[in-house]
Amino acid sequence: MSGYVEGIIILLFINGIAAMGVSLLTGFTGVFTLGHAGYMAIGAYTAAIMTVRYGIHWLPAILAGGIIAMVIAYCIGVPTLRLMGDYYAIASIGLGESIRLILENWQSFTRGARGYPGIDNYTNLPVAATFFVIMAVLMFFLIRSNFGRAFKACRDDYVAASLLGFNTARYRVLSLSISAFYCGVAGALMAGFLTFIQPVMFDLNKSTELTAVVVFGGLGSLSGSLIGTAVITLVTELFRPISQYRMLIYGAVMVIIMVVRPEGIMGQHELGPRFIRSLFNRKDRSPRTAEGGGGR
Amino acid sequence: MDTLIQQVINGLSLGSVYALIAVGYSLVYSILLFSNFAHGGFLVIGGYICYYTLAAMGHNIWLSGLLAMVGAGVVAILVEKLAYKPIRERTNVTLYLLIASMGMSIVIENIFVVTVGGRFRALPPVIPTDPVNFFGLATTSAFDILSLGMAVLFLTGLQLFLSKTKWGLAIRAASYDLRTSGLMGVNVNRLISIVFFVAGLLAAVGGIFLSVRYTLYPQLGFITIKAFVAAVIGGLGSLPGAVLGSLILGLAEMLTAGFISSQMRDLVVFGMLVLTLLWRPSGLLGKQVSEKV
Repeated sequence: MSGYVEGIIILLFINGIAAMGVSLLTGFTGVFTLGHAGYMAIGAYTAAIMTVRYGIHWLPAILAGGIIAMVIAYCIGVPTLRLMGDYYAIASIGLGESIRLILENWQSFTRGARGYPGIDNYTNLPVAATFFVIMAVLMFFLIRSNFGRAFKACRDDYVAASLLGFNTARYRVLSLSISAFYCGVAGALMAGFLTFIQPVMFDLNKSTELTAVVVFGGLGSLSGSLIGTAVITLVTELFRPISQYRMLIYGAVMVIIMVVRPEGIMGQHELGPRFIRSLFNRKDRSPRTAEGGGGR
Repeated sequence: MDTLIQQVINGLSLGSVYALIAVGYSLVYSILLFSNFAHGGFLVIGGYICYYTLAAMGHNIWLSGLLAMVGAGVVAILVEKLAYKPIRERTNVTLYLLIASMGMSIVIENIFVVTVGGRFRALPPVIPTDPVNFFGLATTSAFDILSLGMAVLFLTGLQLFLSKTKWGLAIRAASYDLRTSGLMGVNVNRLISIVFFVAGLLAAVGGIFLSVRYTLYPQLGFITIKAFVAAVIGGLGSLPGAVLGSLILGLAEMLTAGFISSQMRDLVVFGMLVLTLLWRPSGLLGKQVSEKV
């Protein structure tokens, strides 16, 4: 396998991990976020600083990246997740950008805007694939569990869920923390893959992309989010030769998908025997549309 | 003391430009209940139309400004018809509109990157920027005074439009309930077009002033994030709130830049956003929405 193809596959795994995190928060809990690149940045810088400055092995460094992102998300989430809908969306832009600005200005620790060079290339294909599989299985069980149902209840009807005795505020914070863990791990893997990180990699565009792939794939569909990631990662890679038009096409694809198929590629369905059967058996399919998100 | 007054004037001037953008954004939000991220694109379009008409037709800023405003307004209507109308007719999930608007903002930004290139352009010196003495209290630039004055002029115009005209009445009614006002005989599609036209027009004015202040480039639209923050601080959908939030933000930004450090200004802006929302979750002047079960 050539290095280029291998690189794209590693990138797919990394973006897939981050997309699963955002999918949990936006697709299953209905909290719309535009700041998750910030948590990726935390994971990336944690792993980079731990491995380069303190010489710690990469495996604990990656996990620490995820855990620190999770702890910070918890501290941010407890006060701010009281906000609903677009208020949280705008606030999350502010939070994500603040993380980036702090990394940019904390010269002595993060080396500032010029970036952090010289990270070991610890993310190879087996490492990325192993992380991806383990985290995908965990996420799959999580959304099938009682927690998953509680998250979906928060999404579908916030008020009814709280009347039924769910501590909705706690579930929202929990969902944010877990999604930040996924993004943190993805960021840490990214640091090991690129061997050089820069705060500007984790800006608002990256956050938008993370949320966009989840919406593309279908809100409330884990496999949909992964398909969305694959489509967007491949589109951006395939159009690299005409890089000038790349972002133009990316934006246009975003608009067209929303206009043509707003519920995303998969809707709320998961890729599996049932979904494939329903493709051939269109009459039986219940006309469910994704009604999540928005948070109002 | 001199610096303080000077920074206050700068802050008010910057805040008033934010207000022009934030008011348009808030106006769209009050009708369609979604954050229109393509708003930054309208601003950039206004800036580029002004730049090219100035070069083509002599240095008449009034004519170019007018063309920029009309052009951005028309583009805003087109964006609504192309991207938002099909979605809002099909579903009432505002999230889809939000994602489409992000796509639209990327498209507009990159149309300029592809066609005219990403380099920074300075508008020809049509707007005076020489220092003037402000009543013997402080020295400030004529540009700051001018942008403050123009912003007040346009905001007053908007206020008159909304309170005195028939369409203004319809817009105010629609901001309470779009469906009901449609049932009462308001042509909703035309109303939404008018709202987008007004939003685009105000964004173009803001765009011209911002491109004089920071030069013109395709990513200039990112500055609208600050106007969004201002609108959220003031309370989404509330126009007085948007103006108030913008002025607070402009002052905070300039005072931080003047007395603490220029790098901290964005951090202060976002910090203020979070603190305000923690204190009042629906903004300073926002409606306290109670959820219906």
